[in-house]
Amino acid sequence: MSEKLYTLLLRLYPAAFRREYGDAALQLFRDRLHDERGFLPRLRLWLDLLVDLGLSIPPEYRRAPSTLVPAPLQAKSGLPSFNLLESELPRPGTFLFGTIFALASLGVLGFVLNHPGETNLFRRSSSQTPARSSASPTSAPQLSKDAGAQSSGSTPAHPDQQSSVPPPATSVAQQAQELDNKERHLVIDAVITNLTQHYIDPDATKKISGLLSTHEKNGDYNPITSSSAFAGLLSKQLQDAAQDPHLMVIYSRQPIPNRLPGPPPGALDQYRAAMEQQNCTFERIEILPHNIGYLKLNSFPDPGLCRATAVAAMERLNHAGAIIFDLRDNRGGYPEMVSLIASYLFDHPVYMFNPREGVTAQSWTQSPVPGNTLAHKPVYVLTSAATISAAEQFSYNLKMLRRATLVGETTQGGAHAGVFHRIDDHFAVASPEVRPVNPYGKADWEGTGVEPDVKLKEADALQAAMKLAEKTQH
Amino acid sequence: MPKRKLDPLPSAAFQIILALSIEDLHGYAIMRQVEEQTGGRVRLGPGTLYSSIQTLLEEKLIQEVGLSEDTPSERRRYYRLTSAGRKVARSEADRMADVLRVARARKIFRGDYV
Repeated sequence: MSEKLYTLLLRLYPAAFRREYGDAALQLFRDRLHDERGFLPRLRLWLDLLVDLGLSIPPEYRRAPSTLVPAPLQAKSGLPSFNLLESELPRPGTFLFGTIFALASLGVLGFVLNHPGETNLFRRSSSQTPARSSASPTSAPQLSKDAGAQSSGSTPAHPDQQSSVPPPATSVAQQAQELDNKERHLVIDAVITNLTQHYIDPDATKKISGLLSTHEKNGDYNPITSSSAFAGLLSKQLQDAAQDPHLMVIYSRQPIPNRLPGPPPGALDQYRAAMEQQNCTFERIEILPHNIGYLKLNSFPDPGLCRATAVAAMERLNHAGAIIFDLRDNRGGYPEMVSLIASYLFDHPVYMFNPREGVTAQSWTQSPVPGNTLAHKPVYVLTSAATISAAEQFSYNLKMLRRATLVGETTQGGAHAGVFHRIDDHFAVASPEVRPVNPYGKADWEGTGVEPDVKLKEADALQAAMKLAEKTQH
Repeated sequence: MPKRKLDPLPSAAFQIILALSIEDLHGYAIMRQVEEQTGGRVRLGPGTLYSSIQTLLEEKLIQEVGLSEDTPSERRRYYRLTSAGRKVARSEADRMADVLRVARARKIFRGDYV
């Protein structure tokens, strides 16, 4: 141990000295180690050595200039000459370290360049796009639920997908992977086959089939080598052709499993944790001036987890003279929660139309709610262009029932939820498979959104709704 | 410039020369001899010792006299004082004697010490 340490310390001397006297110095150290035993002698030995190092190393390096190697021959021939301070080459270890360091640096740089979607900066900017945010916890239950509800012959969504199902805009942020003609053809073929088998709208399927084939024949897809960009483009073309924002081609970097029974264990825990952290997305519950109840709700969360929160929120607003539901940042959720909250707004059970599924017990409100006083109070719903899915269901039904005044922007228009079908390890297609009859005999909000009663910029919606509500209070 | 390096003669180099004035010694023995002749005051570390030996060799004040045969695994280099070395030692001792004489004249010492 001591000897190893001293061998290391010896490396502090110039190479020439070490070559000549390194062994002898080590031998001397060994001799002293052998002769001087006990704590104090050893301590004295090490002190001696340290002083010795300090005193003798600098002179050894000062000795080095005396070994200057001139190059007189070259100087005489008129060529540039160099005087070398040290005649010896750098040690092999130096070259080895240099090589490894350079390779490691290159490797890190290459990795960073290949993973633009992994950096926080990028992710933050993509989640700010006005399109549906894939990171929102609310999209998870929507997808898993619908996938589960329509299990016949369909492949439920992959766990990673549920949390990261990329809307076309953000899917580009995922890691790009090289794509060739063969893979592109396979994906296009599978998309058309899947839509033909499962999609509710045969006319739209025909249109899409022709469109994709034409694009492929013309070589329009050939320049696209990024898988995520390809999925994004196909999604957009499907959505435009069918006017259905729930039609999607998904690219997943993680391999998509063949079949996945039930919801994955991790996803539910994540959702539960997110709900606990965000108060079940009940962002604000308060009584505004003039006794106006205000509820900012950013999703319609799973009643299994959030029933108590929802009930408490509605009870807190029970004595308000009017209620404003702020759904401007609401990205959807569970139809059961839509029915649960709507229950407080009626004195008898009311049917809440949901284009994603047929009639079930949950399609009806549980009105009247004992002790509730809100059944006949004025209701205002604030909407934005980002309001979608279950939030549109809530808005649409209250509007059709003439139970609420909608204030804000036309909603996004996502009526159906897609069921996922695996194409291969990395691609899947989502398409809706049911379209229940609309009791109001009109088109639902698919592709068009829900029109507000009072149309204005979403930023002005709250002020306008408060003024309207105020008037009803006098 | 041979003179410049050992002029003035460093104390370590002088002690090594004095140690070698009795007999040929290897590095560790020189160190022990120096320790002894200075009453334990000077313990030359390996760096100082071999640095001084290197300089003394370059100035040809000492020379190597082959390897010992003590044990085959621990072959040691022995050093011997050259006549030039002996001369340098004498002149250094003279210089010191001069210094000593001055010091004595100035009553630096107490009593009849030295």
